[in-house]
Amino acid sequence: MAVEKILKDDASEEKGERARMASFIGAMAIADLVKTTLGPKGMDKILQSTGRGQLVTVTNDGATILKSLHIDNPAAKVLVDISKVQDDEVGDGTTSVVVLAGELLREAEKLVNSKIHPMTIISGYRMAADAARNALLQKVVDNKEDAEKFRSDLMKIAMTTLSSKILSQDKEHFAQLAVDAVMRLKGSTNLEAIQIIKKPGGSLKDSFLDEGFILDKKIGIGQPKRIENAKILVANTAMDTDKVKIYGARVRVDSMSKVAEIEAAEKQKMREKVQKIIGHGINCFINRQLIYNFPEELFADAGILAIEHADFDGIERLALVTGGEIASTFDNPESVKLGHCKLIEEIMIGEDKLIHFSGCEMGQACTIVLRGASQHVLDEADRSLHDALCVLSQTVNDSRVLLGGGWPEMIMAKEVDELARKTPGKKSLAIEAFSKSLLAIPTIIADNAGLDSAELVAQLRAEHHREGCNAGIDVITGSVGDMAALGISESFKVKQAVLLSATEAAEMILRVDEIITCAPRRREDRM
Amino acid sequence: MAAAATAAAVPSSSKTETYTDTKRKDDIRQANISAARSVADAVRTSLGPKGLDKMISSASDNSVIITNDGATILNHLNPLQPAAKMLVDLSKSQDSAAGDGTTTVVVVAGSLLRHCSTLLSSGIHPTVISDALHKTSLKAVDILTAMSVPVELSDRESLIKSASTSLNSKVVSQYSSLLAPLAVDAVLSVVDPQKPDLVDLRDIKIVKKLGGTVDDTEMVKGLVFDKKVSHAAGGPTRVENAKIAVIQFQISPPKTDIEQSIIVSDYSQMDRILKEERNYILGMIKKIKATGCNVLLIQKSILRDAVTDLSLHYLAKAKILVVKDVEREDIEFITKTLNCLPIANIEHFRVEKLGQADLVEEVSLGSGEGKVVKITGIKEMGRTTTVLVRGSNQLVLDEADRSLHDALCVVRCLVNKRFLIAGGGAPEIELSRQLGAWSKVLHGMEGFCVKSFAEALEVIPYTLAENAGLNPIAIVTELRNRHAQGEINAGINVRKGQITNILEENVVQPLLVSTSAIALATECVRMILKIDDIVTVR
Repeated sequence: MAVEKILKDDASEEKGERARMASFIGAMAIADLVKTTLGPKGMDKILQSTGRGQLVTVTNDGATILKSLHIDNPAAKVLVDISKVQDDEVGDGTTSVVVLAGELLREAEKLVNSKIHPMTIISGYRMAADAARNALLQKVVDNKEDAEKFRSDLMKIAMTTLSSKILSQDKEHFAQLAVDAVMRLKGSTNLEAIQIIKKPGGSLKDSFLDEGFILDKKIGIGQPKRIENAKILVANTAMDTDKVKIYGARVRVDSMSKVAEIEAAEKQKMREKVQKIIGHGINCFINRQLIYNFPEELFADAGILAIEHADFDGIERLALVTGGEIASTFDNPESVKLGHCKLIEEIMIGEDKLIHFSGCEMGQACTIVLRGASQHVLDEADRSLHDALCVLSQTVNDSRVLLGGGWPEMIMAKEVDELARKTPGKKSLAIEAFSKSLLAIPTIIADNAGLDSAELVAQLRAEHHREGCNAGIDVITGSVGDMAALGISESFKVKQAVLLSATEAAEMILRVDEIITCAPRRREDRM
Repeated sequence: MAAAATAAAVPSSSKTETYTDTKRKDDIRQANISAARSVADAVRTSLGPKGLDKMISSASDNSVIITNDGATILNHLNPLQPAAKMLVDLSKSQDSAAGDGTTTVVVVAGSLLRHCSTLLSSGIHPTVISDALHKTSLKAVDILTAMSVPVELSDRESLIKSASTSLNSKVVSQYSSLLAPLAVDAVLSVVDPQKPDLVDLRDIKIVKKLGGTVDDTEMVKGLVFDKKVSHAAGGPTRVENAKIAVIQFQISPPKTDIEQSIIVSDYSQMDRILKEERNYILGMIKKIKATGCNVLLIQKSILRDAVTDLSLHYLAKAKILVVKDVEREDIEFITKTLNCLPIANIEHFRVEKLGQADLVEEVSLGSGEGKVVKITGIKEMGRTTTVLVRGSNQLVLDEADRSLHDALCVVRCLVNKRFLIAGGGAPEIELSRQLGAWSKVLHGMEGFCVKSFAEALEVIPYTLAENAGLNPIAIVTELRNRHAQGEINAGINVRKGQITNILEENVVQPLLVSTSAIALATECVRMILKIDDIVTVR
């Protein structure tokens, strides 16, 4: 009765119970790891890199933590992926989605142990998720028509997002910054036009929003430091010499004067190139590559402001905001689209000189300059602000708004419970489990703040038994409070994404009954 | 099995689970705090005028540094523990924000952390402590601002006083009477009257030259190069009424960017090539000479020799003084100072691009190698200045450089924010007193936390006294007493070993140094408090 070997030597497989257990445990471990960062009193994590440089990152952002983890467990990887998707799609709620998925699996594990088929659980979860979504849809508020109210909604959302981050102390200031920046975009979700510059020094409060674009570069020597009505040519071209790119190309000459002639010809070529560039009728030239001394001087003579070595990001964004195109050949001046802006000047931020472009073609562009005590603070502030900007730009498009502080979870849980009572059969157990998982979020928020979660959540549930209740957890005073009065709001889109992707991820992991680890590919050369 | 056990535990688990979790979090928090504190303890003894120095020997290249500058010590410490790293960064930020007080900020952070760990162990939630800290720091900045004294830039005396307070705690303290006015003059000379709030310290160039003593340090209105004039061929070393050109091209045989080779087929051709080379160079030099230029500053080139023996020879004959190997980064400073434009091609060599100076000369400092090139009496000079630092050995020289940098920063702080505050532990003890009083009117946990921070600030006068060999407890108690009687400027006079009115003793420092130390230290402590886990990542 020899069992034939189906898999390769190093490959392994885990089946049934064991496979399911492995994925449950992995997913829950991940959820537990990030769970303490949830909510306004959530804690930060240090990410210590084992690679070179031993870089240290201090963060509270779920996506950042998960992205950088070493993970071997396949189920855990699924959770990391949904957090990434959440980050790309809506930008915030990256922790919530993982925590919710973890809780769903925790409940599912109990059901599986009491001999309920995973498929039954899945269909129960599906029904519950639908009910929950409908519950939310009934409660959303849309203030798109009323500009004043819409703006205050945006402010509230920004403050709620920021309150769980490092910027919480100055959240009003930053919420203002973020809302102003997003409002300038006029409905587009192109966050590219919002540039964030980090400059160490000063404190977070000194951060400011600047209309226009700031480039962290220097103006060439002897060139004008201020240009009005600038015509800008953005280019990516070699400004050292146009090398002959044929391998091994070389010239043979028989006298020194001929070498001098070639050198002069090379210079002449450069001069022609510069002349061509100048021929575009520009007064500002920005190149991604280096500009050597010789062309730099030619530009200086022509009174053109030349900026060398602008980084890739910078140059693309610059082309975007000034409305120009990146050029690399200069033979047809009429086909090159030049960028325009009202004023270019040198400004000082902290100790550094930067170049400031104001009155750009694309009016939406703006720059947020972040100041802070150290690089850690700045990086984290950048991440937090990015989250806020993402959420806001999504909200501008889909202006439906919900209350925060555990309020949506309570609403959903209530509706799901209702459904469970009406549903016959084993499914109802799964639906009930779903509502329990939803309640876990307010529980964790309260736990993180060091409050008595059981008591608070019970109180909340009682409050929510009334119709039209606005109760949620007020972490600051440690009691149940009116979320509408406290101005804690969340974007509907974020909540919906959290709900749906967490359910889907849980479903996917539940369906698993076998894990096959493939044999690693061997390296031939080294054994 | 195991799964069943966890499953069974889950429904009622939230209590037990949080319990075990908190244990680990507390451990991590305590580990962070103690690591950060040990960093703070390492620099504590270098605080104050009687603070001692540290000798740092680096394992990689066997170099030795002797310093008293907190930022420098920490920079070389290179700790592995993440929280300890944050303290190092803290001192760097203070260095970039204010330039001075790099030790103070770390010592304050260490002391705050010690008090925080007591608060934590009595069961206060970290976020409550963190919020209280934030409030305290805002209040503290208000208190400091209220006790500061405004200063005018024209008041040179006060500026010198604060610069010398900073210098007094350094190795070079005995030279503070020389270096302090020097730092003040240097900064004041680069302040643009049109933008009086901006000082770019890059407009002050510090040139270090071994030899002599710190006494010989001087400020030069002009340029100093730590280089010799190239006089391999007996060129001039002193030029009056100099016309100076900064060139970015090379005076050497031509070289193309494309690969090239000269094929010599017979003897006569070789001769011709040599002659052509000579003519080529001579032609260039004639063009230079035609503009009346008599000093050349040549940018370093990696592509080919900037000058050859041959060109040097011709330049010497044309009585042109040559300084070679000028770094590209320095070109901007030089052109700004000389008020000239760099020239990148011989064709562009024109009179209007030259700078003018009364005198360019090679000065020999003592015997041997110690020679520098000085350019003085520059016409229409830009707002820049150069300080030539001397020292008897490399260690002293480096430390003098660092100390001078601190002093320059202090003066810059005063230009940015024109307020002075007393030194000698007076502001800290006053803060401690006023915050202590404030804590009594606060409600709940906050009051308790604020009171604890008020105590934490006493570490500065305590350490000052301890480092000076005084009885810290007696001194701090006495100091507290004097402040309670309303003498807000009473501080520790380390020289006399007693408490005096520190403003009268001329021990003053810029307000910006104190406020930024408090703000940065609290921000850092808050960050450390909020961490509950260390995750190892790729």
